[in-house]
Amino acid sequence: MIQWLVFLLFSAIAFLSALGVVLLSNPVYVILSLLSVLVSIAGIFFVAGAELVGALQLIIYAVAVTVFYVFVLTAVPWEKALKKDSHYRVAGVLSFPVVLLLYIEMVLVFLIGVSVSPKGEFREFIKQFGNAEVVGGILFSKYFLAFELVSLVLLIGMIGAVIIGRKEAQTYEDNPS
Amino acid sequence: MEGVVAWLVITLIKILVILGIVLGIGAYLTLVERKVAAHIQRRPGPMVVGWHGLLQPLADGLKLLTKEDLFPRYGNRFLYNLALVMALVPATLVFAVVPFGPEFEVFGIKVKPILTDVNIGLLLVFALGSMAVFAIALAGWASNSKYALIGSMRKAGIVVSYEVVITFAVMGPIILAGTLSTYDIVQKQIEQKLWYLWLQPIAFVVYMFAMLAETGRVPFDIQEAEAELVTGFTVEYGGMKFGLFPLVEWYIEVLSLSAIAVVLFLGGWSPINIPFLGFVDPLFFLGPLSPFVWFILKVSLLFLFVLWLHWTLPRYRIDQVTETAWKVMLPLTLVNLVLTAVVAPLIWR
Repeated sequence: MIQWLVFLLFSAIAFLSALGVVLLSNPVYVILSLLSVLVSIAGIFFVAGAELVGALQLIIYAVAVTVFYVFVLTAVPWEKALKKDSHYRVAGVLSFPVVLLLYIEMVLVFLIGVSVSPKGEFREFIKQFGNAEVVGGILFSKYFLAFELVSLVLLIGMIGAVIIGRKEAQTYEDNPS
Repeated sequence: MEGVVAWLVITLIKILVILGIVLGIGAYLTLVERKVAAHIQRRPGPMVVGWHGLLQPLADGLKLLTKEDLFPRYGNRFLYNLALVMALVPATLVFAVVPFGPEFEVFGIKVKPILTDVNIGLLLVFALGSMAVFAIALAGWASNSKYALIGSMRKAGIVVSYEVVITFAVMGPIILAGTLSTYDIVQKQIEQKLWYLWLQPIAFVVYMFAMLAETGRVPFDIQEAEAELVTGFTVEYGGMKFGLFPLVEWYIEVLSLSAIAVVLFLGGWSPINIPFLGFVDPLFFLGPLSPFVWFILKVSLLFLFVLWLHWTLPRYRIDQVTETAWKVMLPLTLVNLVLTAVVAPLIWR
């Protein structure tokens, strides 16, 4: 009962803030409502008993990802942030059918996923070992290949960032002969 | 039903006790800091209000509360006030996963002196710790002032770099303990008769550095360098609103991170440890109170250590601060991880 109430509360907050992300015009408010969406989704994870996923949601999305938006935004001058020419209304209307298609796809994938998901299979394990252990066990057994491939992609991304970000010993501007 | 009611009452009491302790002690630590700083510099410090200035925090609070509430003309009032809330709430929430002592029984009810013993406690600590960035960035942006903005950007850069370092630094103790729950980490140290400090000296040193950086203490307090930025992102705040930021950063966060350091490296509430042999308790005469006294003693020792550094060292430049994080601290923690992986099977025997 209490669980349902808390779940409803969090989903209401998430829904309202998601509307805010789309509708507000001040970019700082947009980032704050995005933060609120992510934190309330973490709350939903906590209510569902997926503590590890909730904490990771907080660390990765609510902090690590959003911080960089904040970084960019705080560098935007005050006057520019209050202009409203950032909303492309015509483009928004034109792209609506595509967005609708994407949503339908998401709903379909969700329904298919629910129909084949292992119902209550992991509940015993979670009670026995705790969240982190179960997730680790599954990651390093069933999904090991995918996990390693993803880490490879991250490594490539990191190398790319270092190459782009490093100082060149000699640049084209130094001797443009 | 009765169980639920008892649980609710106990949780409420815990919340009130923790909030009271944290905010009350936070206010009084200002006096401790001023006294320690004064004696380091061979001055008496505040002496006028009360015996040896004991009532000084109350006088300061009164002064700050009755000040005029100034606000920058083109600032954003909503974000300006929101930044205060976003600074205070995550910092105090961290104490929800700090275990103050072992389980005890009152009137036949078993009580764990920890608010929520979730099995991912440490992850929560670092998630909430990094939330501080938002408060700082907002405070800088909403004040609409160059000093505040530069200060907040510096601070955000420091927090982002050291948050990575601190997360890697605590991996060592986590591997040794095999759990993320703060309560269980202390239990494991008592079972294994080993403070993780003895096996993780590198991690401990790196953790202390990162703690200084995250709480904006010297030598990493470049974001509020008085000589160039006035006081960084708090420039445009006045009265108690100004008082709140140092209270959160310098006292509440230092306290919470010291408590986590004690839990991870110094065996929480356990007495003095001789590695692999056992514990020596010179405070045995306190009986069941001794664990709590030990915990408080260790946390206050770490706090005094931070104060000592603050009033002794000069400060680094911003590029030096972030470069140390990425080029020295992070590789050190990775080396420490490898070493831990080699040593860990010896502990688990």
